[in-house]
Amino acid sequence: MHIPDGYLSPQTFVPLYGASFVFWAVALKKLKKELSAKYIPYLAMAAAFSFLIMMFNVPIPGGTTGHAVGAGIIAILLGPWAAVLAVSVVLIIQAIVFGDGGITAIGANCFNMAVVMPFVSYWVFKLVKGNAKGGARFYAAAFLAGWIGLSVASVAAGFEFGIQPMIASGPDGKPLYAPYPLSIAVPAMAIEHMLVFGIVEGMVTALILKYFVKHESELVYATKEA
Amino acid sequence: MKNDIPLFLLNTPSSHPPKRGGGKINISYIDKSIESFAGILKESYIQWESASKTGFFHELDTRIKVVFWLFLIVIISLKKELLPELGIFITVFTLVVLSRINLVKFYKKIFLLGFIFGFLISFPSSLNVITHGEVLFPIITLSKPYDFWGYHIPEVIGFTGEGFSVVAMLTLRVLNSLSISFLILYTTPFPEIIKALKVLKVPDTFLIIISLAYKYIFIFARIVVDMHLAKKNRLVSAVKSAEARNWVAGRIAFIFRKTQLKCDDVFKAMVGRGFSGKIKLYQYQKIMGRDWIVGFFLFTLGLLFLWV
Repeated sequence: MHIPDGYLSPQTFVPLYGASFVFWAVALKKLKKELSAKYIPYLAMAAAFSFLIMMFNVPIPGGTTGHAVGAGIIAILLGPWAAVLAVSVVLIIQAIVFGDGGITAIGANCFNMAVVMPFVSYWVFKLVKGNAKGGARFYAAAFLAGWIGLSVASVAAGFEFGIQPMIASGPDGKPLYAPYPLSIAVPAMAIEHMLVFGIVEGMVTALILKYFVKHESELVYATKEA
Repeated sequence: MKNDIPLFLLNTPSSHPPKRGGGKINISYIDKSIESFAGILKESYIQWESASKTGFFHELDTRIKVVFWLFLIVIISLKKELLPELGIFITVFTLVVLSRINLVKFYKKIFLLGFIFGFLISFPSSLNVITHGEVLFPIITLSKPYDFWGYHIPEVIGFTGEGFSVVAMLTLRVLNSLSISFLILYTTPFPEIIKALKVLKVPDTFLIIISLAYKYIFIFARIVVDMHLAKKNRLVSAVKSAEARNWVAGRIAFIFRKTQLKCDDVFKAMVGRGFSGKIKLYQYQKIMGRDWIVGFFLFTLGLLFLWV
């Protein structure tokens, strides 16, 4: 879901940089207030953890393995605002060091995976789990948090791709950036993420949370809050 | 006579990998994870090693390189014709040659990523179903055109000239962006790149968080590789799927706990060195005359591409 350079027009990537910047500023302010001077090592370690969680290959039912984006579980473990910054730092490092995602698309990628996904996942989890502190409902909430979070983020990316032919076409109608219209980009992104990657994301989210609740429940942010 | 040798050591080892199914899983998840984490360590080592060599771009002031990089990336995304994109490709190629970077290794990676993220993703758009235009290579002829749910399927489906031009444009853009990004990375240590972002007024706090995170990613990645190697060494057969999942979840929790402990250690070390909450990265030295001249030449070249 990392958008490369060249697919988004400046009319799209500049506002998305702006939107991400607003979330970074608010998140930084909130965490600074909450953690005082400790927020620097806290966010650095949270980012390192977020990076590593994406690299683990997790065995999933059916005999195969998969790995997750992890923004959902990070939002549940650390809180959505910490997730915004931690996942953003990861996406910036991935874009610069590994070429995963474009430099111009950092704002868009951060908006989709570090803003939309953590907040959607976190609120889906809170909403579905209700007062449950374990059991089927609690783990169903974790699964849905990962699944819906990733699916919504993929729809956001599909929307960003899909509007390109409308806002950036040549005089002859030839697309200048992402060539697929909304009617193709959104369903293509949504279907593959809802049917494949989202399910893996949901399973990984539920699996990791299950372990944490059983062994390290005091570390889970989403269950600490009233 | 009864012996104390564990039963699994008495079994004849099979040369075949353990089969899937029956609630058991082979140990490929361990290999895949080792591959992922070792890949990060390997990539960072290659970049670090390449950045520590000498060459045209290596010796240039990092601030000039970083500003030129971002300037060129923006130009690449603004250009709408193939010719300037080709010009940029040749310019970056020349800089790679001048910097004495191993061309085969460098472009092998660029072309692989460019092929996946540029060509493969955009190739279906060369069909007239997506990009309208004159069909150059028809592939299917239907009895009649179809319209459903807002989608239009023409009678003759094929590749269009306009579609090929879109694919070429996107592929070149992706290749150019990757080339300039990797050129910077292969000629500049990552902490220097982050420090140079200061000239773009990126807050010091954000830069220090990225630098710290980058450093600890490799420290923890090393730990994760060791954990997986230790697990692999102790396994002699397939493990139960649930057991494998539990082990991975446990390792993730362990890393989480480890990052939290490290956070405390780092903070105590910062306070011990007089940290009072104010972040200030040290300024660079003055930019040398040679760097100004090269910088001027590069930016003129960039402006030329912007103007063409």
